[in-house]
Amino acid sequence: MALPQGLNDFTLADKAALVIGAEHPAGRIAAATLAEAGARLMVASQEPGTDAQINETVKAAQAAGAKTAPITQIQNATIRADVRATIDKAVKRLGGLDVMVTALDAPYYAPAEAGDDSIFDRVIESNVKSVWMACQEGARAMHQRGGSIVVISSVLAERGVPGASLYCAAKGAVANLVRALALEWAREKIRINLLEAGWMTEEGSPALANDEFAANLLKYLPYKRLVKPEELAGALLYLASPASGFVTGEAIAIDGGLLCRV
Amino acid sequence: MVADNLKLDGKLVIITGAGRGLGRAMATRLAGAGADIVAAARTVEQLEETAAEVRRLGRTCLIVPTDVSRSEDVNAMVAAAVKEFGKVDVLINNAGAGEDSFGKTIDKITDDEWRRGIDVNLSSQFYGCRAVIPQMLKQKRGKIINVASGYGLRGGKHNYMYACSKGAVLQLTRSMALTYADYNIQTNGIVPGIFPHNERLMAFFKGGKFIPMGRGGEDADVGPLAIFLSSEASNHINGALIKIDGGGLAGGITPTGVAPQPTT
Repeated sequence: MALPQGLNDFTLADKAALVIGAEHPAGRIAAATLAEAGARLMVASQEPGTDAQINETVKAAQAAGAKTAPITQIQNATIRADVRATIDKAVKRLGGLDVMVTALDAPYYAPAEAGDDSIFDRVIESNVKSVWMACQEGARAMHQRGGSIVVISSVLAERGVPGASLYCAAKGAVANLVRALALEWAREKIRINLLEAGWMTEEGSPALANDEFAANLLKYLPYKRLVKPEELAGALLYLASPASGFVTGEAIAIDGGLLCRV
Repeated sequence: MVADNLKLDGKLVIITGAGRGLGRAMATRLAGAGADIVAAARTVEQLEETAAEVRRLGRTCLIVPTDVSRSEDVNAMVAAAVKEFGKVDVLINNAGAGEDSFGKTIDKITDDEWRRGIDVNLSSQFYGCRAVIPQMLKQKRGKIINVASGYGLRGGKHNYMYACSKGAVLQLTRSMALTYADYNIQTNGIVPGIFPHNERLMAFFKGGKFIPMGRGGEDADVGPLAIFLSSEASNHINGALIKIDGGGLAGGITPTGVAPQPTT
């Protein structure tokens, strides 16, 4: 589907795009948005056992006007061989890689005293190592030709949340990873930016399962409601496309203004 | 769908400082995406050129000569827009000045220069927000875009009025965003990095070679961001201060283009 005249900067016509973590709502929206903007698409999972959700994402991309059926890959995003195979497959089947979106996320909420070393490894691996490896391998495919990487993360990257110390640490690590990679790759025409989602509906967040927390949170949010996944679409397309050609190392929050609060 | 949400067909956008530079670039790009424009600035001749470009794109452009440092002018600007179009979908507080003050030592800055700079860069944006809010509340919708600067986030040597006024613009943006979030009025900021608008600034910034992407910003770079923040595609973005700086503000604790010795 072509974008209307006057919005040419936002087009991804014939660009090769990969979404990793496509089983998540944010990944599904990313896939549909990139497809609508004209990209040829591959979608890969964060974890195995997610075929059903990946199929939903494929359907969403096709409904959004994907010209060809998205290529799918079930992988474990914390295993190097899987990530490398995913990138290699994208490059081979799509003829390169212009845009990569990571929607890698594994929420973890628990008091600090509750965590043992296995929890530390699991949270950091699923939230940080996965992004690190995707960026390393993705950028390898983008050297020479340039490209745009969008890392979908959370407002937890910017503020502390009680009972979420490790998860906050992981998101903070990803945010500063993006800034450093942006500087390292700026002259190679690889742009990398962060999209920080506010508290979202449908994310299955265990945090919102606490009724008292959820009720108080809703009153606290500037819009008095949670973010819908589809509200990420505009910023995602802005960052993925040439529209943001002079932007790198930046973070855009989709949070209704939450980060402005004292 | 995102493409439909990005379209600006029939939206009315007021832009201050629309006679040149970023303001003119935004006016023409927004018109290209379907918006009608109210172009405000002091110099009518420059506004005429902007208006000609907007009209060439098939959109309407109303010229309102405005000195943004005078609140009565800013009030009249908004009133003229409402009279002509019956609404204001977007206000872009873009007008500013003071880049020629970079490098002036503190003892050489007069009271008048300080006050004049704060009036043009900061008070103007406050006047704009204050003038447009009643109309946007009536409409139960609206968007305000304040143009700040990377100097609003970081200091600069011999850079006082400009850094202070732009830093305050960020705070104006945040407080507006929180106050009117409930009323379907979004206030966001555009934070340009180094945009060398003339040869003196180009020399001052050494051609942009210390910017991570290796160049300074060009006026056209800002167009798509203005479209995005004016559109329905950004309806849940509020109080965001979006940098457009070639990566400069992601770093700043090391010189550009040189990495430390790798650890063995």
